[in-house]
Amino acid sequence: MTTGTATLGDVAPAASTETVVSVRGLTKRFDAAVLAVDNLDFTVQRGEVCGLLGPNGAGKTTTLRMLLGLIHPTAGEMELFGARVVPSADVLVRVGAMIEQAAFVPHLSGMTNLRLYWEAGGASFADADLDTALGVAALGSAIDRKVKTYSQGMRQRLGLARALLGRPDLLVLDEPTNGLDPQEMRAVRQLLRRVADQGTTVLLSSHLLSEVEQICSHAVVMDRGRLVAAGTVGDLMQASVSAFVEVDDTARASSVLESMPGVVHVSEEAPGLSVRLDGAERWQIVDALVGAGVKVSTVTARHRLEDAFLGLLGEETER
Amino acid sequence: MMALLRTEIVKQSRRTRTYVALGLMAAIPIIITFALWANPPDNFGGGNGPGDGFFYFAAHGTGLLLPAAILLVMSRFLLIGVAALFAGDAIASEASWGNLRALLMRPIKRGRLLGTKILIAVALTCLATFIIVVTGLIAGGIAFGWHALDVGPLAFVRGAPPYQSVGVLLGHLALGSLYVTWSLAAVVAFGFMISTMSDSPAGAAAAAFGLYVTSAILDNIDAIGSIRNVFPTHYSDAWTDLFLHDHLSADMLRGTLLQIPYIIVFCGIAAWYFRRKDIMS
Repeated sequence: MTTGTATLGDVAPAASTETVVSVRGLTKRFDAAVLAVDNLDFTVQRGEVCGLLGPNGAGKTTTLRMLLGLIHPTAGEMELFGARVVPSADVLVRVGAMIEQAAFVPHLSGMTNLRLYWEAGGASFADADLDTALGVAALGSAIDRKVKTYSQGMRQRLGLARALLGRPDLLVLDEPTNGLDPQEMRAVRQLLRRVADQGTTVLLSSHLLSEVEQICSHAVVMDRGRLVAAGTVGDLMQASVSAFVEVDDTARASSVLESMPGVVHVSEEAPGLSVRLDGAERWQIVDALVGAGVKVSTVTARHRLEDAFLGLLGEETER
Repeated sequence: MMALLRTEIVKQSRRTRTYVALGLMAAIPIIITFALWANPPDNFGGGNGPGDGFFYFAAHGTGLLLPAAILLVMSRFLLIGVAALFAGDAIASEASWGNLRALLMRPIKRGRLLGTKILIAVALTCLATFIIVVTGLIAGGIAFGWHALDVGPLAFVRGAPPYQSVGVLLGHLALGSLYVTWSLAAVVAFGFMISTMSDSPAGAAAAAFGLYVTSAILDNIDAIGSIRNVFPTHYSDAWTDLFLHDHLSADMLRGTLLQIPYIIVFCGIAAWYFRRKDIMS
């Protein structure tokens, strides 16, 4: 098992099964009425890029905050690199994190914020990976401007830069592309892939399922504080089979398919319909539509995380 | 601890708020000096408390007493406000910026962060008092000169010594300044405690100032009786005995000791609360 500290400049380490994040029976109750996280279990292995998925209020941010020692769990245990997580645990020095919107001391420049953040931990700024951080921040001369003059996107990039200053072994990011324009989002996705390729484990929460699909190797799906599913993104997508059909009369086709056994959900998706299947085959869909007088021009199989996600949440709601 | 302290000093030294607050501590003594120089009091009446008139009148005779007169005025309002501001701002400002979570994830131990923050708040409060006294001394020296105080003609001020040398006046001033700063301890500790509980620095500062105002108001109500003796502001002006009676009074000792339980309770609650707090900001 490789246990050395990977840096962004290192060669990618061999695959390892070291458990980086371990969450067991994690529960957080804010008061009698609010159960934010309910008996959550999951692990993240070294080198994985794990997406924490769930609708608003699923408990993703609360989970990440507990994992970083900011919130005290009501019950359960968390470990990072085998060390129990408590507030300000020493093991957090191996973690780079950005929770919710990146926040800084507004009256100081971006560079001073980075320096003070780093030096507050007792380290010399010369030891920080400033080149990588500045590359990620991509702020140019604005790095010397006061943070209060920054746009949301600039702050978010500076937040990512701050998280990378210490060449972290684990990167924990909460909605990392919030506030970024499409070009910046793409750059962040590429960065995360590069970081992961170089051996850093990544745990990120996101609402953007396409983003998770592109970046993540694994996913943990949460709903109302509970674990719904966990596994590789590929396995999760295979668990839900969908089809896309293009027809001449979507209203009629929709009505036919909704009444068909083995079809769990039909939604309009211009220029056709997205059909989530649970038992029915594609040829049966075509057969039913043609039998009902609907002209079918296209039928394609589809495995998307979004369909899997909606399917999983649908099952959870029915339970 | 030293690394964290250095970073906190940089944060404070680059804040406009710090300069405005400390600038006021320098500006008010200059304004008071000018007012006394332009319109010298012709008797020792006036003021808000017993002995106030003595200070204003005698300050006109020596610039060494002027800082005490200014301290007397400012320690009843503006200095309290500034101390409350520094204390209330300590943790709550980091929370309001959202920077608190970054510090704790760095990771900085919560106890160490608290210790550093209160040290900075206390240092800024001491600096505020120091600026008042030094500005008063300089302005007083320029306006009235630095002389010994001869209160012979004011012998009817009960117990006032007839003469205080330059050295004695400076000694009294140093001791009085320390006492004034120390007597702010309950307000600072209370503001700090609220600062750990709130994400609003202004709210925490207002709460600390509110403690002072409440204590000062209740302290004026005789019907409350001897319970007033434990109000944090009860002995706030006891230091004036140094100038009025040329000795350390028993009230100064009581006032000094009175702050200790407030510090222990408020700082103890702050530490207890902050260690258990869920950081949501």
